[in-house]
Amino acid sequence: MLIDAKEAFAPPSEDALITQAKMGDQQAYAQLYTLHVKRVYALCLRLLADKEHAEDATQEVFVQLWHKIASFEGQSQFSTWLHSVTSNIAISYLRKHKNWLQKVVSFEQSGMDEQSATDCQGLNGLDKLVLRLPERARMVFVLHAIEGYRHEEIATMLGMAVGSSKSQYHRAKQLLKEWYENE
Amino acid sequence: MSKPDFETFLAESLNNSETHIAPEKDLWQGIEKAISNPAIQQRESSMWPKLAGIAACSVAALLSVQLVFNSPTQDASVAMSDFFAEQKQTLLVQYQDQPALTDNWQQQLTELEDAERAIKQALENEPENPALLKMLAQIYQQQLDLINKVHAPKWQTI
Repeated sequence: MLIDAKEAFAPPSEDALITQAKMGDQQAYAQLYTLHVKRVYALCLRLLADKEHAEDATQEVFVQLWHKIASFEGQSQFSTWLHSVTSNIAISYLRKHKNWLQKVVSFEQSGMDEQSATDCQGLNGLDKLVLRLPERARMVFVLHAIEGYRHEEIATMLGMAVGSSKSQYHRAKQLLKEWYENE
Repeated sequence: MSKPDFETFLAESLNNSETHIAPEKDLWQGIEKAISNPAIQQRESSMWPKLAGIAACSVAALLSVQLVFNSPTQDASVAMSDFFAEQKQTLLVQYQDQPALTDNWQQQLTELEDAERAIKQALENEPENPALLKMLAQIYQQQLDLINKVHAPKWQTI
């Protein structure tokens, strides 16, 4: 009987990797990591606007995912589930890493400075502007415009009123427009 | 050629949004370390100093709350300072042989110590100001948390 070489040597499907990872197979999990790390890192970088924090949060996502993967039942796409886990971890990462002054005085963190944003590799023109947005406006913009969450969902995720989410989105667009037009 | 208006630029950018950005560092090694058995064993073996650290932090937090809200006097801030200085020293000795997670943690600690000095200076003029006392307690807490956190092996990476 002839063996179809394409079939025999084809890389395992994502479903197969998930099943193997659920059974504790770290090699399969490493392949899942390779498949998704760039998407996870992109989302973390956009939400956190800091390369080191984005790297830390990406690691945290994959460590937590390893412990949670058994609960993934395949009702949604793995990538959708992964994005949801990533968004929540990046938000809680930001809360945990606020410095003492931000916690005490509760002021908003500004975004990345223009030069650092311009120097970031692999980002398009819009991303470079998004990284410069102040924290709340940036998170709402990324979650709504790029990730497709509704304002009601964002309000729950970020612990703010729905109206605040909408006004932060408007604020983000105004700033982006201003920077774009002055470029 | 003139650039497109903002709404066109936004719509086009969102449609072609690049969802794949590679991190500059290899992150897998740190993840592998955290999820593999040796790492778990490492965590377990270093559990006691960590637990002791957390216990010290909790006691410190309780004491500071009691001092700040029950007796907001200059003695209170002095007692709080003495207590925290002792806790901090204990933690530093406890973790002295354990590698730290970041290279710049001592710089972060210095920044917190600068803030501590600034608040103490303000307290000299207003020794009974509860907001300042609370801030001082929080700064001490941040210092203890920082020392504990950077010595936690959980996210140790390459």
